[in-house]
Amino acid sequence: MTTTTTTAEMTGAPARRQKTLLGYVPNVSPFYNFHPVTRLILFLTLGVVPLFIYIPEVNMFLIILNLILLKWGRVDLSRLRIYLPVIVTVAIFMGTVVVLAPGEDPSFTPIDLGWVTIYYQPVFFTFAAYWRLIAMLFGTILYFSINRERDILVGLRSLRLPFIASYVIGLSIRAAGMFMEDFRIIREAELARGLDTSAMKFRDQVKLYMMYLIPLFSISLRRADEISNALFARGYNISGKVAGGGERLDYIRSLYPMTRTDWIAIILLVTIFVIIGIAQMGFGVFAITNSPLEQFMRQWLNIPPA
Amino acid sequence: MSITIENLEWKYEHTTEFALRGINLEIPENSFLGVVGPNEQGKTTLVSAISGLIPHSFNGIYRGSVKVFGEEVKDAEAVHLASQVGLVFSDPESQFTAMTVEEELVFGMENLGYDYAKIKERLEWAADITMISSLLDKSPYDISGGQKQRVAIACVLAMNPRIIILDEPTSMIDPLGKQFIFDILRNLKEAGRHTLIVVEHNIEQLAPLADQLLLMHEGEIAKLAPPDEFFEDTDFLLERGLYVPEVTVFGHWLRKTGKLPPAQKLPRSLDDAVSLTRTALQAKGGTA
Repeated sequence: MTTTTTTAEMTGAPARRQKTLLGYVPNVSPFYNFHPVTRLILFLTLGVVPLFIYIPEVNMFLIILNLILLKWGRVDLSRLRIYLPVIVTVAIFMGTVVVLAPGEDPSFTPIDLGWVTIYYQPVFFTFAAYWRLIAMLFGTILYFSINRERDILVGLRSLRLPFIASYVIGLSIRAAGMFMEDFRIIREAELARGLDTSAMKFRDQVKLYMMYLIPLFSISLRRADEISNALFARGYNISGKVAGGGERLDYIRSLYPMTRTDWIAIILLVTIFVIIGIAQMGFGVFAITNSPLEQFMRQWLNIPPA
Repeated sequence: MSITIENLEWKYEHTTEFALRGINLEIPENSFLGVVGPNEQGKTTLVSAISGLIPHSFNGIYRGSVKVFGEEVKDAEAVHLASQVGLVFSDPESQFTAMTVEEELVFGMENLGYDYAKIKERLEWAADITMISSLLDKSPYDISGGQKQRVAIACVLAMNPRIIILDEPTSMIDPLGKQFIFDILRNLKEAGRHTLIVVEHNIEQLAPLADQLLLMHEGEIAKLAPPDEFFEDTDFLLERGLYVPEVTVFGHWLRKTGKLPPAQKLPRSLDDAVSLTRTALQAKGGTA
């Protein structure tokens, strides 16, 4: 169901939040005026477009665009801090790999930093790849910050994903949340019985985590069994056949009407996606060599153009 | 008869004992059957056999016959059974499969092939009768235990089955939540449109609602009688591990010790017990 946002509510301040299995979404957001399929296509555009774009500046612009959309969508930006470890870890990991294992190519230009020699081409390529990843990450953050689980499923079913497939996705999302909850309960039960993991050696902590898998696995099996019984009790059939042999109706999807604004937004987004795709695949517009930063760095380091 | 069970025997795979033995039972249409007994005596297995989970979802040895409105359960399709028999599990969370309460409620109706108008109508009715209208937009995992159980009941009610089975519906909720559930059961009984089978340990609240009480013991029906008769032989019930209301035990003691006449009906509520004690005191010549 879409939520109408009044002008008074559009103060730009983060709205009250609603917990989902994947995080939090604002209770009120201008994004809710759009059909879930429109939001899904926005995600596909913002999340997939970086795959076509090798120019880091453009991907940085996409990140800023995502931040603007998050702000406009009344998402609490302070919660983005939880993604900081991922962003930093990926940077450290990619940076370490490219320094320690740059690959072998006689055309690479070495740069002596005194304590280590790095190679310009793989370093800049990794730098560009990093911003592609982060741009995709922000596209994903935006999507999950403005969609509840049911919006995600309605969006998928609107794209004619079979009910069973969307149902499996829904159950998987649910299972992930329950798995974390079970894990937390087991951990708390151990803490309550005096287990102090901070006093344990790293090796023992790893062993402990391995041991968690046993109860978690058995709980998961039991839950799978329960869900199977619940589906039977509600008359669900894997073939999707309903009583009377008719077609299964999707009541929840019927609550989300497509408006003219949705169609305009979808056409716009798909057009942008196609133009960017053609521009890169046909003409290489977003190739790394077209990056002003890359050109500046080459000039600065006296490296001839590629 | 809504349910007819003849010589039913069931043994779960990888077990040595039969969980159900020689079950013969007839449950009239639109009646209320309370199923009681200690744990591990076959109560849940019995209702699983009626709902079709046994033998459709469990492996084991199945003998005898369970018929729902004349149709053999073991030969019926899941979707057809679901339209006839609704089952509320003891752990409501274990039956949730959707992302919001609203989706949870409509899922079963979609399986039954209802059209949009009927789904909307029944959704609103079921939410109203179980007092969960304000929860429709919430995740079924983010509500209280009592609310979860009401959602689970609403899911079944929405599908409008002719038989509703509730397996220990109050086992995981607080006293206020239990009262809510019994209020719903009372309303359903008064409406008289469903056959109700309720497995429950809370006999004090179950007995006034039930037309018949059934005691399961070691996989067999140990006793089946209307509530007034059911508690007559309190020793028999206590020997089989049943928790008998304390006021009933007290009344039984008064009767056994000759302080009350043998034909005296045993109390099932505190009010009954107070009145009975007054009678006993008056019979002794004291003041009440």
